Amino acid sequence: MKRIGVFVCWCGTNIGGVVDVPQVAKAASSFPGVVLATDYKYMCSEPGQELIVQAIREHRLTRVVVAACTPRLHENTFRKTLERAGLNPYLLEIANIREQCAWAHQKQPGRATEKAISLVRRAVAKASRLEPLFASTIPVTRKALVIGGGIAGMQAALDIADAGHQVILVEREPTIGGKMAMLDKTFPTLDCSACICTPKMVAVAQHPSITLYTYAEVEKVEGYVGNFEVTIRQKARSVDHTKCTGCGTCWEKCPTRVPSEFEQGLGTRKAIYVSFPQAVPNKPVIDRRHCRYFAAGKCRVCEKVCPTGAIDYQQGDQLIKEKVGAIVMATGYDLFEWEKVYGEYGYGRYPNVITSLQFERLINASGPTGGKILRPSDGKEPQSVVFVKCVGSRDPAKGKEYCSRICCMYTAKHAHQVLEKLPGARVYVFYMDVRTAGKAYEEFYLRTLQDGAHYIRGRVSKIYPEGDRLIVRGVDTLLGRQVEVGADLVVLATAVVPSRGAAELARLVGISCDQNDFYTEAHPKLRPVEANTAGIFLAGACQGPKDIPDTVAQASAAAAKVCALFSREEMAAEPTVAQVNQFLCYGCLECQKVCPYRAIEPVTVSENAAGKKIERTVASVNSGLCQGCGACTVACKPGAINLKGFSNEQVLAEVDALCL
Amino acid sequence: MSQVQGGIGIINLSAGDPSLVNEIKELGGEELLECIQCAKCAAACPMVLAGFPFFNKRVIQAILLGLRDALLDDSSIWACQSCNRCTEVCPREVNPFEIIQAMRRVAIREFALPTLAIEGLKSLYDTGHAVYLAGAGNTRAKVGLPEKPPSTLSYPEALKEVRTILENTELAELGVIPMGESGVTDSCEV
Repeated sequence: MKRIGVFVCWCGTNIGGVVDVPQVAKAASSFPGVVLATDYKYMCSEPGQELIVQAIREHRLTRVVVAACTPRLHENTFRKTLERAGLNPYLLEIANIREQCAWAHQKQPGRATEKAISLVRRAVAKASRLEPLFASTIPVTRKALVIGGGIAGMQAALDIADAGHQVILVEREPTIGGKMAMLDKTFPTLDCSACICTPKMVAVAQHPSITLYTYAEVEKVEGYVGNFEVTIRQKARSVDHTKCTGCGTCWEKCPTRVPSEFEQGLGTRKAIYVSFPQAVPNKPVIDRRHCRYFAAGKCRVCEKVCPTGAIDYQQGDQLIKEKVGAIVMATGYDLFEWEKVYGEYGYGRYPNVITSLQFERLINASGPTGGKILRPSDGKEPQSVVFVKCVGSRDPAKGKEYCSRICCMYTAKHAHQVLEKLPGARVYVFYMDVRTAGKAYEEFYLRTLQDGAHYIRGRVSKIYPEGDRLIVRGVDTLLGRQVEVGADLVVLATAVVPSRGAAELARLVGISCDQNDFYTEAHPKLRPVEANTAGIFLAGACQGPKDIPDTVAQASAAAAKVCALFSREEMAAEPTVAQVNQFLCYGCLECQKVCPYRAIEPVTVSENAAGKKIERTVASVNSGLCQGCGACTVACKPGAINLKGFSNEQVLAEVDALCL
Repeated sequence: MSQVQGGIGIINLSAGDPSLVNEIKELGGEELLECIQCAKCAAACPMVLAGFPFFNKRVIQAILLGLRDALLDDSSIWACQSCNRCTEVCPREVNPFEIIQAMRRVAIREFALPTLAIEGLKSLYDTGHAVYLAGAGNTRAKVGLPEKPPSTLSYPEALKEVRTILENTELAELGVIPMGESGVTDSCEV
């Protein structure tokens, strides 16, 4: 007979203020197998845990039930308590009487107590069927893959590499640097973005422990924590970078001009190009879509002028396989495509309605206007500039429900820059709220007010042309009046969205996204840099809109998590994984279809049947990949799969205890 | 209203006068740009209760946008009761009361003041009281007070001083009220 101890927690008044805790303990003492039932003010505290340790020893307990908060919070805490008392940590069962009783039924304390007693009865029924589980170990490849070469990816790669581990950095654009390389100045200090970003780019390229793949994409990810096998597609550059010296003759002579992605369409580049003069690597690629030779079979100018013979039109894509132990997702963001939905702002038809990122290029000394603020339609200096915030943000009807977090600050920066560069210009900022949560951020915004920016609280309903100007119609809710203002340039602070392809990449890598396709963290507060798949970590705006300081902080945090994983040659694997009883399995593989972690593979077993040796297919679980979700156990028709710690027998015992 | 165009009641911000901000700063509203429109002043203001459209924080917002005409065409700034609660509660030491006073100065320069204000000023010049009730003597006597209060009414030399002060203000140059023509004439040197 199992000797079960039940420990009911008050959680101060969190549970005790609603649920009659002593009554729960009293009821528990009569459940089968229970030899001790007691309560305490804070079971998770040091004296609370000591009470459990002492009780295990004194009453020779073999199973423990803790009735307290959600197991997500303290299951591990109490498992360690059991371990200290010499019990296998998996002989613990938690009854959640806080979230599921005290909090959910605050207004009905009597019924909350009744439910708490039921949940404890359930836990006791399961506890009496618990078996000890033992963690296994898996080897760890101490090499990391970082996907995305913006400031998040660069920071994570450098931190991991500086800790002495090998890093592979994959970037799909021809250069690393990401969005930060496009920015002019950074708030709130106004230091030059390039001055702090380009040295990092060079450091990444020169680091002996970092292997850099630009113009490359991750094609396939197999394996599991500590043991991933990734396939990287190096897209054909049509230029042999081992021969190329980056002299620039080819892109000078190339006859084809196309809108530059880096200049956000405000400037042009050639068909053979480097994205910007400080690009890393500073060697070109041929954009085959626009190259005359690839389109029409004629030209070959770059090949003729190249002094080192580096042009290679025959170059194909290359597939590279790498083994890594951890993956850092740092895929960043893109801007919401406002021109597709905002008809009231002209669907992108008016050249003088631009995005904030275009404005960054416009005001950047290395940008298409050499840093002069000139309106795109006719190159005139604007005398009246209108900024519109929340274009696509906080707008579930046309855009996204969330706040993009960075727009209030960069718009304040832009307003300041206009007033600084164009004395006498009028600046209007239409806003709903000014959100400046950050060190020295509010002070920066107040400075912009002092500069003379007109902040008008209200959204813009319409932008329309009148002569060579634009009329912006809004409301000033501070005055309680509709307002109109003539503008030479309108800058839209468009919403931050996950970078294109983020959701597909998530499926490929095996992590989950939220409803907006931002990558989901394992816990919003306590595990903010881990994905919900072991061994995969998140850095920067791919997890949610973030400014540069937060991005860098998260990247360093992700790197620290990777280093912790790499600190040992082997790691303990969670034992609560699925297990196939191969005698019962008849190989239908329904389990494989429902497994979200691709942890189930068919294997062939040979056995003797009626004196003959036969071979048949059965399912097999890769315990390194299995995250213990239990989906397979439900899909399994013959009941051949059990999730350890949640076996069919245990779960049915719980159901019986609750319902019979 | 010149700032209204493009539709009824729409304010055209492009017609706003950027010089208004500096004018107000020079006339006593130095801390104008400190305002973040938090509306704590409005929460303490009796003008809001009385239903005036341009109460303290809206006066400030309108000044920041240079809406001179909109402010001058409205009688709101003259409704301030000078209770000074706004100044007491303002978290950024903007001193909204002083800004309203400054806006009144702007208005007077353009003769944009209500008749009631002119009458008050005239009464101040004539009697030393902005509000002077001619029949008050009887009421005072009924409750056992001297008919004339111990103010300029009892001390003509004090009234003379008040007039001298008024004659040395911009009001004399503007000629908003007749000075030196009624009452005691010897105070007018011109």
